[in-house]
Amino acid sequence: MLLSELSNNDIARVTDFSKVHIVIQKRLRQLGIKQDCEVCLIRKLPFGGPCMLESSGQCISLRLDEARLIEVQKK
Amino acid sequence: MTAQQIALIGNPNTGKTCLFNALTGSYQYVGNWSGVTVEKKVGYLRNQQGTLIDLPGIYSVNPISADEAVVTDFLIQEDCASFVNIVDASQLKRNLHVTIQLLERGKNLIVGLNMIDVAKKRGAVIDSARLQETLGVPVVPIIARTEQGIDQLNQQLKKSKSTTNDVLSLYYGTIIERAIQEMEEELAPLPIKVSKRWIALQFLDGNQHVEKLLDSEENFDVFENIREKAEQKLKKEQRVASLTQHIHDTRESYIEKLVQNSVVVNTSRTNNWTEKIDSIVTNKFLGIPIFLLLMYVMFMLTFDWLGFPLSDLLDAFIAGPITFVLENTLELIGASTFIQSLILDGIVAGVGGVLVFVPQIFVLFFCLSLLEDSGYMARVTIVMDRLMQTIGLNGKSFIPLIIGFGCNVPGVMAARSIEQPKDRLVTMMMTPFMSCSARLPVYALFAGAFFASNQALVVLSLYVLGIVVALILAKFLSSTTFKEQKSLFIMELPPYRLPQWRTLWRATWEKGKGFIRKAGTYIFGGSVLIWFLSYAGPSGLAVEMDESYLAMIGGVIAPIFEPLGFGTWQASAALLTGVLAKEIVVSTMSIIYFVPEMELQSFLSDQFTPLIAYGFMAFILLYIPCLATVAAVRKETHSRKWTFLSIVYGFVSAYVLVFVIYQVGKLLGY
Ligand SMILES: Nc1nc2c(ncn2[C@@H]2O[C@H](COP(=O)(O)OP(=O)(O)OP(=O)(O)O)[C@@H](O)[C@H]2O)c(=O)[nH]1
Repeated sequence: MLLSELSNNDIARVTDFSKVHIVIQKRLRQLGIKQDCEVCLIRKLPFGGPCMLESSGQCISLRLDEARLIEVQKK
Repeated sequence: MTAQQIALIGNPNTGKTCLFNALTGSYQYVGNWSGVTVEKKVGYLRNQQGTLIDLPGIYSVNPISADEAVVTDFLIQEDCASFVNIVDASQLKRNLHVTIQLLERGKNLIVGLNMIDVAKKRGAVIDSARLQETLGVPVVPIIARTEQGIDQLNQQLKKSKSTTNDVLSLYYGTIIERAIQEMEEELAPLPIKVSKRWIALQFLDGNQHVEKLLDSEENFDVFENIREKAEQKLKKEQRVASLTQHIHDTRESYIEKLVQNSVVVNTSRTNNWTEKIDSIVTNKFLGIPIFLLLMYVMFMLTFDWLGFPLSDLLDAFIAGPITFVLENTLELIGASTFIQSLILDGIVAGVGGVLVFVPQIFVLFFCLSLLEDSGYMARVTIVMDRLMQTIGLNGKSFIPLIIGFGCNVPGVMAARSIEQPKDRLVTMMMTPFMSCSARLPVYALFAGAFFASNQALVVLSLYVLGIVVALILAKFLSSTTFKEQKSLFIMELPPYRLPQWRTLWRATWEKGKGFIRKAGTYIFGGSVLIWFLSYAGPSGLAVEMDESYLAMIGGVIAPIFEPLGFGTWQASAALLTGVLAKEIVVSTMSIIYFVPEMELQSFLSDQFTPLIAYGFMAFILLYIPCLATVAAVRKETHSRKWTFLSIVYGFVSAYVLVFVIYQVGKLLGY
């Protein structure tokens, strides 16, 4: 399942994010996102705007385009 | 005695600048989002010898954006500095990645464990003694915001030695260790100031700035070869995706252990408060309206509700008592007419004409500081990202634009934290179109004279006009020059923090001070010059204004502005001087019509029609960025071409737009 397919407040485990743009990938890793870490989708903004994620106490915002490239497993 | 040099380094938004202010007693810009500090700032340490350097925040020593690169270059070049590594205790794991990379470079480091109040609230108790023991460097818990623990940190700083050859050597596995060794052998003869192991490791990690350092060496091929070989081997034998990944993972597992041993987490609760505010300000339906509403309130406070009445009071004071006293004093001491004219018609008119707007400008800066320190700025980026995407940019571009409302120069600088070079460049091109505080006096003067009943509305339309022109320009640039390049967006959202009065006041004062200083220096100088040019002419001194040098100079370029409706020498002279700083337009006008600001308005109505006045304001908004902004664009783009283009874009759009406004307006019978 893809990160973009989660609904609000769903918690999931990241299984693969190697397909997103390399710059975003680096930043995600720096922000502490890694294989098997838990993320919570907080909300998506309207008109296909970015989505907000929470992971180990911090909030990150990402475009939906990128979220479509991140594989997760819903809990 | 050698002065000690200490640098502050750490993740973005962890309170480095806060600590810098506490340690130096000076003031630098603090804000609640990642990327507030974009360049190196230097201050003097309190109570002791030495300088303190505030560096931009970094997520890693391996940089992605331009502000991070500043730090990498600093780390490569400076070998004398010792460091204070600020670590956000509430995000320990992530922050320690930078700590590890610094320790690998050298143990001349003190860890400032900041935000322990936030960590405590989240239920994390950190055993700093344990951490200190494992890392082998001093760890001092602090709360930079309330200056708690600063004394202990100072104690440590006094003790610290800046030179130590000790480094942390993590074991990265046989393959990488082998590669490091090979690299070290190759690096041995090179005059590199810092740990060679560190350089080797950063190179293997793909750090482009370290690559640049080695680029000129003849054995660069050898380095690349070593890296290539190691990566292949790793991929084959251990199935890791890349060298970078493996290096990161090694550090991660080290940190994992470290944290396990020294942190006790009781409950892990996220910040409810932040959650609640976010659910409103980033709400599906309310997000954009709330943003617009906030902008509107800020604007109305500045122009209508608060700033305007205050400015009026000040104006009455300058035009009344102050001028009266000056006049009488000058009479009394028997000053010559030349001196009298210089002081009253030149300086009081010129500088006073600008100073009356100080209250308005302070109100504006106060609102901006409030936005910056609260944490809302980061939310603006996500609310606006969708819109910005349609013009080929990302939401982060909005931060420089909002800062640009205060002053375009820091706006242009703020673009540094944008990752993609193209997004950054386009943002820098847009920023000069934001109505900065220096344009505000011009608007207030003209809108007051011609649109007294709906002043705020008219000025608001100018702000919007600036934004619209900037958006069109961005769309144009990203669909022509930069068609191929995709924009990217990722943003960290910090928790909201209740702004402190002290911080707010200082931030407002620091920004406002610049305006007053400008009034005291080159608006003063400009006023004297303009007054002199208007006082002297080819036939001597004290000539009729129309015979003055100023009239001659203005007259030469006046025909250019004929099609726009303001082809008088007075308007041309004002525009010409306005390139220096936009406020000078008001000074020039005050001097030319030598009447105090209050009477200037009624005087102006004889010279302009409302239509022309509106066109004139729009022209001032757009035409050419002020000198300081042009210099900032030049410095930040490193490109003559783009600096030149930013002037051309401004002038062309101003000319075309005002031409249309004037000609259409005339047809419609205004
Ligand atoms: N609660 C709490 N807040 C703090 C503390 N230290 C700093 N802050 C706040 O954290 C925010 C960021 O502070 P800055 O000093 O601008 O951070 P910085 O590390 O210089 O940030 P960049 O310039 O983006 O790298 C501000 O809103 C501060 O008021 C602390 O110890 N506790």
